[in-house]
Amino acid sequence: MVARAEPVRQQMRLRGRSYVAFVFCPFVPIVGWLEEIDATLARSPGFFVGKPVVLDLSAVDLSQSAIAHLVTSLESRSIRVLGIEGVDAAHITTSMPPLLTGGRHCVVPQNKPEKPAARPRPTSLLLESPVRSGQSVIFADGDVTVLGSVSSGAEIVAGGSIHIYGTLRGRAMAGVNGNPAARIYCQKIEAELLAIDGYYQTAEQIDASVRNGPAQAWLEGDVMKISPLN
Amino acid sequence: MSASLLRFFGGRKSAPAPASATAPIARERLQILLAHERSIRGEPDLLVLLRDEILAVVSRHVRLDPDRVIVKLDRSDTVSTLEVDIELPNGFERIAAAG
Amino acid sequence: MAKVLVVTSGKGGVGKTTSTAALGAALAQSGEKVVVVDFDVGLRNLDLVMGAERRVVFDLINVVQGVAKLSQALIRDKRLENLWLLPASQTRDKEALTDEGVGSIIAELRTKFDWILCDSPAGIERGATLAMRYADEAVIITNPEVSSVRDSDRIIGMLDSKTVKAEKGEHVKKHVLITRYDTARAARGEMLTIEDILEILATPLLGIIPESQDVLRASNVGSPVTLNNAASAPARAYTDAARRLMGETVTMLVPAERKGLMNRLLGRRAA
Repeated sequence: MVARAEPVRQQMRLRGRSYVAFVFCPFVPIVGWLEEIDATLARSPGFFVGKPVVLDLSAVDLSQSAIAHLVTSLESRSIRVLGIEGVDAAHITTSMPPLLTGGRHCVVPQNKPEKPAARPRPTSLLLESPVRSGQSVIFADGDVTVLGSVSSGAEIVAGGSIHIYGTLRGRAMAGVNGNPAARIYCQKIEAELLAIDGYYQTAEQIDASVRNGPAQAWLEGDVMKISPLN
Repeated sequence: MSASLLRFFGGRKSAPAPASATAPIARERLQILLAHERSIRGEPDLLVLLRDEILAVVSRHVRLDPDRVIVKLDRSDTVSTLEVDIELPNGFERIAAAG
Repeated sequence: MAKVLVVTSGKGGVGKTTSTAALGAALAQSGEKVVVVDFDVGLRNLDLVMGAERRVVFDLINVVQGVAKLSQALIRDKRLENLWLLPASQTRDKEALTDEGVGSIIAELRTKFDWILCDSPAGIERGATLAMRYADEAVIITNPEVSSVRDSDRIIGMLDSKTVKAEKGEHVKKHVLITRYDTARAARGEMLTIEDILEILATPLLGIIPESQDVLRASNVGSPVTLNNAASAPARAYTDAARRLMGETVTMLVPAERKGLMNRLLGRRAA
């Protein structure tokens, strides 16, 4: 005879707990309401991340498929719906968030929404020391300013203009993202190569008359002009 | 107490040279050096071997601190001097003979 | 506080090893405890210039590999008791010289010496980058010649990016040492001027070493030029440079032609 001990049963305990959730009250047209959501998200992208959201559909009359579509639209925006209230139970399917009742109005604690880096992008780069041979400075977003010389064998590549408070002995390529208005300025021009918006001139093509003094280079059509800066 | 274990005699010192006559000194230095370097090219390092074996022998009898072992070398054209200096502290520990 | 100083250039044959030996001996003569370290891999030069070529037992890579202790590889100079040499390896390959290995040797050398002079090989490969990696200061040897100046500039850029100090956002103090300055050619305008070089490199000048037979003679006999003939023009210029490294202010003398021994108003004196 085999005795078998009954497994000790643990009581299942039912507990209650209340949470505070954001309530969304969509209005028609839903498309318009979703655009408002998008505008809010654009201003503060992480605003709804991790926060429980309840849909209050009492102000609209949506069919079951419309409700399903609305939930999906919100999920595609990373907004997860905790529950739905203000509709007839028949409109909710088991694949949707559950029907909620008995919600009470309360004040939602307002913590500052995180602003993930929407910092304004810098449009100019400042280098406070000379650029050495072999170094390559690439800044596609705007102008580059160098407080010092640019050595032979070094290069500066900029989306905007290039300003060198020193001697340019290396390569300077301005306006690289299709900006023919970009210019190159330097206190002394001994450059190996100058380029603006893809049009280039090498050292031997640079006229002797502009050397040994401040100069600027710019594009006129597809011709690069270099003149002394006085 | 320091024990100098190997010492051979050899080596000639050159006299200090007048300013103009330094080329012969350079030639002599190079001849000695290159003769040595050509002879050891491709061979396992004799000095490392000698040092390791000497240390192994001494360690069998005495507890050795590898930091207290200095190896010095002086090459000349006829012979070379290898000097292995091992510092043994006074009252050094003798290792009991095994078996 | 120990100082690690790298003697580098980029270009080969400009006088790094000669300068390392000369500066090392000059610093040792002032009473500093100095070690000069040869960072070349496969070619050994510093020992020859120091006159220690017959006494090399173990080298830098032997210490990195643990084949020998640092104390066994260090060779004491026979003329100056506080000058030591850590020779390069003749036979190992580059891979054997590791960052961690060099780092731990430099750390150990810092506890024993006031000055650690690292003689860099030419180029920008492993020996050169490891020679500069742990440097607090750098002396960039430059000849008054275009490719030397450009290579020096490249090296200066690397000192500001590839060293531990630069990676921590700290500053490696840099000096340019102009070597093989030929006074006759300078007078004829056939050589880049000191001003040209300093303007291009934008780095303070440590000294100007004139081209001289004394350097060749010193290396022939295996003695740093500052020891072998301390009164010679290059030796005096190196000694001044060493004093500047130690923080002294020393008037910069530009080597001038022997003929016409006139003191010029700007404090220039004949070499």
